[in-house]
Formats: sequence, C-alpha cells, structure tokens
Amino acid sequence: MEVVRNIARHKLRSFLTISGIVIGVLALTTMGALAENFNALLDGGVKYFGSSIQVGPPDGQSAFLIPITKVDEIKRVDGVGAAFPTYQFQAKPGSAPSFSFGIPDSIIAGDPAENDWAALKVTYAQGHALDPNSTGQVVLGSTIDTEFHKKIGDTIDLPIKPPDAKPDFVNHTFTVVGILNVTRTAPDTFAYITVADGQTLLKDSLPTAIRDQIPVAQFAQAIDVYGKPGSSITDLDNLAVKVNAQVSGVKATKPSDIVNAFKSGGAIFTAITTAAALLALIIGGLSVVNTMFMAVAERVREIGLKKAVGATTMNIMGEFLFEATLIGVVGGLIGYGLGAAITAILNATTPPGQSTLFLVTPALTILAIGFATVLGALAGILPAWRAARLDPVTALRNE
Amino acid sequence: MADVRLVDLTKHYRRGGEVIRALDGVTLDIERGEFVAVVGRSGSGKTTMLDLMGLLLKPTSGSLFIDDVDTAKLGDRQRAQMRALRVGFVFQEYNLLSGLNVLENVMLPLRYVKDGKKTGRARAVELIDRVGLTDRVHHRPTELSGGQAQRVAIARSMVNSPSLILLDEPTGAVDTETAQQLVDLLKRLNQEDRVTIVIVTHDLDIASQARRSIRLKDGKVLSDERVEVAAGVA
Repeated sequence: MEVVRNIARHKLRSFLTISGIVIGVLALTTMGALAENFNALLDGGVKYFGSSIQVGPPDGQSAFLIPITKVDEIKRVDGVGAAFPTYQFQAKPGSAPSFSFGIPDSIIAGDPAENDWAALKVTYAQGHALDPNSTGQVVLGSTIDTEFHKKIGDTIDLPIKPPDAKPDFVNHTFTVVGILNVTRTAPDTFAYITVADGQTLLKDSLPTAIRDQIPVAQFAQAIDVYGKPGSSITDLDNLAVKVNAQVSGVKATKPSDIVNAFKSGGAIFTAITTAAALLALIIGGLSVVNTMFMAVAERVREIGLKKAVGATTMNIMGEFLFEATLIGVVGGLIGYGLGAAITAILNATTPPGQSTLFLVTPALTILAIGFATVLGALAGILPAWRAARLDPVTALRNE
Repeated sequence: MADVRLVDLTKHYRRGGEVIRALDGVTLDIERGEFVAVVGRSGSGKTTMLDLMGLLLKPTSGSLFIDDVDTAKLGDRQRAQMRALRVGFVFQEYNLLSGLNVLENVMLPLRYVKDGKKTGRARAVELIDRVGLTDRVHHRPTELSGGQAQRVAIARSMVNSPSLILLDEPTGAVDTETAQQLVDLLKRLNQEDRVTIVIVTHDLDIASQARRSIRLKDGKVLSDERVEVAAGVA
C-alpha cells in the first residue's frame, strides 16, 4: 500500500510518467497488432507456397495458359505426389484499387481434392466442399461471404458486375454450397469454383476475336504440384528442378524462393513497426528513470530512517525497484488496454469485404505488458541502487 | 554484565587534509535499564557516539559490544538486523513518514523483522495506547502536534522491544512543557520495560533528570556522573 501512496503522492508527476509508458505500450500494441496481422497473412502464404510447387508458363510467355496435358507429364516426374490445374480471376473486375494489407477478392478454380494435399487446409463454417463434377457451385471465404451477406443456398453472380460494366460483360450465377472458417490469410477473400466453371470463366476472359478458337478445356492457367507425403521444402526445391528439366513448356518455381520473399517482407515490416514502438517505449522508460531519481532525492531522510530501523541495502533497493516496476506494470496494462480497445474498434469498423488490419495475439499481449514491466524494473535499478547505497547518517540529517 | 560496552571507541573523519577526531578513545559501560544523558557542546562527539552505538557508523578503531555481541564482527546485514531487533532510534525531527498513519509509522520497523507484522501489530497498538495516542491511531503525521509526533516516534522505537533506545535531541523541536511530558514518558517506559535509554541533549534540565550524565568534550569523556534517585527516576 505504501508504494501506491508514494506514487499517488505526486499525482501529476506520476500521471505524466505513467503516460509516457502508456503511449509507448499503446504504440507497441497497435503497431505490433498490425505486424501480427500482416505476419498471419504471410504465414498463410508461407504455409501454402512452402508445401507446393507453383508451375506456370515459361519465362517470356505473356499468356497464362499451359496445356492441361502438362498435368499428366508432371505427375510422371519421380517424386511428384499430385498435380492440379488451377485458374484465378478477379472477383470484382474494374473496381478501383484500394490500399489494403489483404489479398484482393479472387475467384479460384481447382479440384477440391487439392485441400487434402495442401499444408494450409480450409475448414467449413457452414455447408460442404464443392462437388468436383458439378458446375454452378461456389464455396466462399469468410471475408467475401461477410461482404455479400450470403448463406448456404443463396446465389451469387461471379465475377461481380462493376457499376460501369460494358454491355458485353459476362458473369454466371453460382449457388453457395459452403462457407469457410476464418483463416486470416488468402482463403478468406477467395470464392472457390470447380475446374469446369474455371474453364468457362477462362473463356469469358479471352479476347472476343480468339475466344471461340481456343479450346479452354485443354488449358490451365497454372498447375499446383505436390511432392510425395512427407516431402520437405528442400525436397520440393529439388523436385522443381526436376520438373523444369523433364517437362518442357512450363516453369516450376522453387518453393523456398517464394517463401523467402514472404519472410523477408514480413521481417522488414515487423522490424519497422516494432522499432518505432520500442523507441516510444524506451522514451517512456527514461521518464521512469527521471521520476525515480526525483523520488530518491525527495525521500533521502525516509531512506535514512528505514536503514536506522533495520532495513538492509537490499530492502531499500527492493522497495524502489518495486515502485518503478509498478509504474511499468500500470503503464503497461493501461497502454495495452487502450491499444487492444483501439484495434478492436478499428477492426470492427472495417468495411465488409476489406481485411481487418490488426491482430492482437497472446504473444503480443505478453510482449507489451512484459516489456513495460521489465522496462520499469530496469529504469528503477540505477535510482534504487543510489537509494540503497545512501549513508544512513548523512541521509537522516539531510535537509 | 553491561548492556552496552564501549572500549577505546574512536571515530575519525577526514575533511580535506585534516583529521577530525569526532570520538577519541571512549571507554564506558552502560548497564541494562540505565537512563543515561549524554551532554556536551556542539562538536563534542555526542551524536557520533550515538550513531556508533546505533550501528549507523563503523568505528575507526576500538570495540562496541551490545548485549555481549562484538559488533565489529557483524556484516552489514547482521548490523541491520541488530538495529531492527535491539536498538530503537528517536530523532529531533521525529522522522515520521508522511504517507503512513500513526499505526503504520509505529509498525515500520516490523517490516524488517521476520514475521514482524504478524506478531507486532498488537504490540504497536499497545504502545500507541501507552504513549496516549489511541484516538490518533489513523491520523497522518501532518495532523499531529510536535509532542504527539515525538510520542509516535518513541512508540516506533520500542515496537521491536529493543534493549537500547537512542534519542538524539528528542525535545529539541518542542516547547518546555511538552519536553517535560516526553521525558516523563521516557522515564515511565524505562521503568516499566527496563529498556536502556541513552539521550543526547543540550538541555541541562532534561539531562539532570537522568540517572547518569556523561559529558563529552572534543570526543573524550570529560565526566561520567551517576545521580541517585534525586531526579525522581526510580
């Protein structure tokens, strides 16, 4: 109780000191939540791209079309476990680009069986997977479902018709058969359709002049390749090299190249946001040092008295350290609380269809409050040491 | 057996190139239950002797025994423990903590004794009653008069039931009437608890009420007189 009274004794000074910590932890929490959200997005990419080989057209080919026969050729490469043709389209063509940390709404056509091979597995909040032999079915990611307020059995026209669409704009009606759980990464903004429907959309996307001359059923836009179960990323890298060597007319990208690009992007973002927040927090910590030195200077006689009545050097040091740590804890809790509240409000007010910006994780909670606590304790060491080393005779007669 | 024994106790300070002989080879015994006044002019070594006896200072040479313990052999932690358990201090300026109430101030020394708070609260309440401040138990020091504050300090000095209480000009900041009340209180506690009291004072009237008066000059004992019950001390 005495330590609380000591802090409360100088209300304005304590308020300002704690405010310094609050601002620092607030910055750490919000910036950290931004980084955590971004990293969750990247982690999904790392998981997905780290477990498969992306095969596209060879370098120099501008059209994203690969003969579908390449799927079987790839399957014959030793070490390949599965290969699936895929197609991807903009879900909202013509929409104005907006700044977002999320992935734009997309239509993904593929074989539902691919989910069995992928490391990033999707699960269903409602409904079920696509029937691979059907047409006109769609499974919606959580974000795109929220945006369009769909439930199982509803229909949705895809791609979404832009307000200024030309008269020849074509889209198709799909029935929602499944809605995915939140993944905080790519699948949230995806609408999944079957390969047959993907080929229909591929045909729609071709220039009118050549649309009828290309047998779209014989082409894929890309091929996702999986190694045998238990393949490591190194195995997949080696497999990509083999695919490139043995299958002509395609380009297999090493998974590690994509994963490293994701990781370096995430690391830079995390470093920038965390460094900015830590800087703010350290400045807050310096205010604790200043406050504690002032507290020691004001309480010299008190320290002398406590020593006279039996306090040891460690007793005095402990009392001042506890006080500094308490300032850190209080500042940390308030700063974290404010930061968590702000991020929750901003997430709640994110327009439907846009990915939320913040993710407050248990690790971030521990980091924010823990760092403030440790900072308070560290900031108190020097003042507490000075207090503990005071000569009691001099301290008792201090004016 | 002496309660406190000073053997050729010496404390020298160095100020610039000059050596100050604050206490210069003092030898004396103070027995349990004595009421001793230490008098002398400013700079005579009174406070230095008190600080040495209270283990706040370490002597330059000589020995100090408290309850037969050679304090020279004690480490810092043991010295702190001895201050907590066997020595009580009362200062001229009371030195009460403004953030604590009367009871909490009296209980302060219990913090530094194992299980002190558990067993000491009742003792603190009893002492507050004995110094006549039961109705002020939850008051803050700023709400007390000088005499009341010094009574709190006296109660605090006794809360761990020490064998020795050291008082440095305890009546220096109060009026004559209050000073006499405080001395009467000390005499009563000295009699009832058989606690050894050593009081440093400039006030010869106060000193005359002690059973023994030690006069210091230039760090040496100039006189050491015992007074038979004439001053009314049993």
